[in-house]
Amino acid sequence: MKKLLLPLALMVTIASSGEQFAMSDADRAMYKEMLENNPADIFVEEGGEILDEMLGGEEALAKFLGVSEKELPKYIAGFPRYIKKLGNVVGIDQVLQAMQIEQGKEKTKLKSGKMFSMLAYVKSLANDEQFTIDINADEHIKASYDLGKTTFETARGGRGLSCLSCHSADIVGQVLRTQPLPDLGKAGAGATWPAYRMTKSSLRTLQRRFQGCMKNALLKVIPIGSKEMVGLEVYVSTLAQEAKQPIAIPGLKR
Amino acid sequence: MKRSIKNITLISTFVLSSSVALIASDLTKAYDMPDASKLIEKDLLKEPTKFTMPKSCNLDDAEAIKRGAFFFHNLNGKKAKGEAPKGVKKFTEKKGKDGKMKKKPKQFGNCVACHNIEGAKGGGNIGPDLTNYKKVFVDSKTRDAQFVYQKIADARIDNPKTHMTINLTTKLFDESEICDLTAYVMSEKKQTKEK
Ligand code: HEC
Ligand code: HEC
Repeated sequence: MKKLLLPLALMVTIASSGEQFAMSDADRAMYKEMLENNPADIFVEEGGEILDEMLGGEEALAKFLGVSEKELPKYIAGFPRYIKKLGNVVGIDQVLQAMQIEQGKEKTKLKSGKMFSMLAYVKSLANDEQFTIDINADEHIKASYDLGKTTFETARGGRGLSCLSCHSADIVGQVLRTQPLPDLGKAGAGATWPAYRMTKSSLRTLQRRFQGCMKNALLKVIPIGSKEMVGLEVYVSTLAQEAKQPIAIPGLKR
Repeated sequence: MKRSIKNITLISTFVLSSSVALIASDLTKAYDMPDASKLIEKDLLKEPTKFTMPKSCNLDDAEAIKRGAFFFHNLNGKKAKGEAPKGVKKFTEKKGKDGKMKKKPKQFGNCVACHNIEGAKGGGNIGPDLTNYKKVFVDSKTRDAQFVYQKIADARIDNPKTHMTINLTTKLFDESEICDLTAYVMSEKKQTKEK
């Protein structure tokens, strides 16, 4: 419960001055209600069940990753990370796909609700942990971070915007049409997705959230799981890590 | 004879070992990692570009000001409320991959997302407040039409680190539409709702 108090405090302060903002009083009441009872909890639970039944649960996951079950939470808190036998810096979802293939099962699509649930469950194993991403651990993670940062800063699309146009430090807290611009680090964006997105009434992942911003700002939407998306996840997660925001899955978002 | 047997064992050990390798350890293709680099490459923003306001821009034209207002306050043709002013289409038709004509909403400026101005609903504050622009910036000779035109067309010329959208270099709008926006921003507006 504690983990969710911060975003509420933030929402209440930014949303206190009435109609200029996107969240109405009714929305806020609903948000408070959902904090007690995150609708995404059942998806996370379901993700755990699928992992158990299809792949052998945490034990099998730990084994696949070459760590003990006890070490698993801290290790999960280091994703996306370089996995030697996969040959790339990958997200948790891609690890799950590789496990499926290794066990002769069908690969679940990265953008499917089922995968979002499994990913949310696995990341929730690291709840209350700080991120442990070490961008100097090897050349692969360094390259992924650099690609993510570049992707974040690259202006493109119909309006010539980059992520930085709206998420740079100098305009945090300013208002884009009724929506206050969040500080992605302090808001713990990397640490609080997968989250229940109230406006979409569903569980969404961090990369899926990136796609939302791309679509809104007319940047060509790039596919989940691409090197650039994984890099963006590394980059945005390190912002939460620097701001010392603990992992708290599932998050709850407007 | 002897030789061909040897060959067969050789081949079969090879087949065996490589398939074992595939099952046991080659997971490098066992997950999806789609390419995005080409998508991004094609989507990149072009270099900052200088534009000169065309002579044909008629900043006093009431119709132009109306169109400019419409572009300023709306995100796209699908979301735009009310009738579009004369000469503005909410949708464009484009041939899809299947050869069928597809209706696509035209993108507008959504300037109000970042700027307050007379009659703004939910105006943002990322950019400066453009209320009373004529009196504050134009009549005082702080800004002229060419400045405003260039700012809307490609704000990077005046400010390389701008957070503003790029509207002409990206071809989001054409020249005459940038004229319309310039006309609207520079026009004298009533303090009451005007959209
Ligand atoms: C035109 C402005 C704009 C651009 C460009 C933009 N964003 Fe956003 N972003 C926003 C706004 C506004 C919000 C908050 C929306 C809300 O309140 O739901 C947001 C929210 C987010 C969040 C969720 C934060 C949270 O609370 O967890 C993430 C993550 C994010 N953006 C990442 C990105 C990335 C990555 C890009 C570039 C690919 C990007 N954004 C581009 C405006 C933008
Ligand atoms: C994503 C935010 C954003 C959007 C959208 C946006 N602007 Fe701006 N605008 C800015 C910022 C920030 C500045 C100040 C920095 C600069 O001059 O580049 C600015 C500056 C301006 C100025 C110069 C004001 C002055 O005299 O100094 C004008 C005029 C202007 N914008 C018009 C527009 C119009 C018209 C549109 C829509 C087509 C628009 N803006 C869309 C952010 C935005």
